[in-house]
Amino acid sequence: MLNPAIIRPEIALNDFLPIFVSSSLVLVFGGIYVGIYTAVKVKYLKPWVMVIAYAFWTLTSYCLYVMGSLMHVGSFTAKALVVAAIGLFLLPFAVYYMEDNVHKSNEHKT
Amino acid sequence: MANNHLTSESKQLATWYLTFAAILFGAQLLFGLVAAIQYIVPGFLYGILDFSIARILHINALVVWMVFAMFGSVYWLLPDETGIETIGIKAGKLVYWIFVAAIVVVVLVYLFIQIGPASDATIWFITEGREYIEAPRWADLGIVVVALTFVANLFLTGIKGKQTGIVTVLMADMIAFAGLYLAGMFFTDNISVDQYWWWWVIHLWVEATWEVFVGAIAAYGLITMIGAHRKVVEMWLWIEVAMLFGSGILGLGHHYFWIGTPEYWWEIGALFSALEPLPLVAMFVHVLYDWGKTQGAQDANGDKNSVITNKPAFTWFVLNAFGNFLGAGIWGFFHTLPQVNLYTHGTQFTSAHGHLAFFGAYATILVGVMYLAVQGKNGIKVMKNTKTSIWAVSMISGGVMGMTVSLTIAGYVQVLVSRAQMGATWAGYFDGQNGLWFTQAMDWRLILGIVTFIGFLLLAKDLLTTGKDPVHER
Repeated sequence: MLNPAIIRPEIALNDFLPIFVSSSLVLVFGGIYVGIYTAVKVKYLKPWVMVIAYAFWTLTSYCLYVMGSLMHVGSFTAKALVVAAIGLFLLPFAVYYMEDNVHKSNEHKT
Repeated sequence: MANNHLTSESKQLATWYLTFAAILFGAQLLFGLVAAIQYIVPGFLYGILDFSIARILHINALVVWMVFAMFGSVYWLLPDETGIETIGIKAGKLVYWIFVAAIVVVVLVYLFIQIGPASDATIWFITEGREYIEAPRWADLGIVVVALTFVANLFLTGIKGKQTGIVTVLMADMIAFAGLYLAGMFFTDNISVDQYWWWWVIHLWVEATWEVFVGAIAAYGLITMIGAHRKVVEMWLWIEVAMLFGSGILGLGHHYFWIGTPEYWWEIGALFSALEPLPLVAMFVHVLYDWGKTQGAQDANGDKNSVITNKPAFTWFVLNAFGNFLGAGIWGFFHTLPQVNLYTHGTQFTSAHGHLAFFGAYATILVGVMYLAVQGKNGIKVMKNTKTSIWAVSMISGGVMGMTVSLTIAGYVQVLVSRAQMGATWAGYFDGQNGLWFTQAMDWRLILGIVTFIGFLLLAKDLLTTGKDPVHER
């Protein structure tokens, strides 16, 4: 038997705007996090600025929480959103690690 | 060969494809303007060019110009990547003319036979009636022949020549691209089953194979325009392929929420839709990383010049990274989870997302390739921005962004009035559309559509004239 809340979650009228804004900010803040992380790593910004990058990731997670709460997401979708938040946190680490190693190994060869 | 700067017949064929793509791009915008006017003045051209036909032509021209430009892009990069002339180039040229002729005939039929019976003859000769891929069956079969010839040329060249990561990814991607088209060529009696397969073409093309294609072209562009390290770029490309296919294929689930498919698609759709923006964020890192590293290495050597050898193309490529993130990422994500999609599905939100995503993710990079072709065709070493190119990119991107915001406002009215307050009823549909915010948003959409079209005219002028401009280094 399906949970009726999944079929018709009944979002309050006043919640639509915060949902759209918070879900947009998820990616805006996420993009800023990744952008600052990369800029610090390629030495465009000073290392202490990384703290700001993490602050933006925290804001991303908060926006995901707000969005999920207002949408009344079920337990499965809530877990999916947590996975997405963790994925976004790890993404620049993993990508930078791999790219940098490939770069270094090729620079050593030449 | 007509122009001695073109080093291969493959590149010459590429310029043909890209030129026809640019013409269709203009046609797409023109028919879009007609449809936008008809939203405000419903009687405009009624009986001459009905809204249904203007919309078909607007959307199909979009799909077809992008396919033309994609084929052109591949023919352009193949000799550079493989080190040999494209195999089967004569067949490639022949099917190019067949493709062009078929498109012209299909458009003329759309224009001259706008209303008629829904019979088998209609499906074969007029239109199949499926949104976005309305081409009649004879043209469908022709497209299959064209696509198979293109894929054969790509494979034969890729196997015989140097096998770079970019070509290998393109080979895998283009066979999926061609194969998926078959899913939209047959009908079933059950509309849910029919829609199930139809989405394979629409979603899996756009959010899987086209995105991977963009990754491959971006990789080629970064190598040729800023001299990024091939190993780094190609390794990144493989990550991108894994991420795009990993999230994009099952992201298909967000189209299966409300068409009668089993409920488990809600959960699959929710999970993978939440993950879909990740590769788009990562693309953003990619461009920043490669640009930063390459420019940084040059600066360290005491050379303060820009590493970019084609500024207009690079502008469009950077716009692609942002546009993909904004249009496909943000505008896709905020209405994709099933809980909120129940209210947003089929409203102008979808249209806003479609406009910015197609422009940001695909149009931008394909226009960038057009500039690469202009550079190559005219033997330009370092291509610079001109006033026209700057005005063109500003007006087109500003216009599309403005249209997107307008459509988002219109969609928001529909969500609140038509869906949430009036429960998706017949009366709610019209109440939403008659609201002041909705109609004003549609007025702004038209105004910004005109801005976009003027930007396109400037782009066409620049593409036609910039090759001879003495401002570039040769």
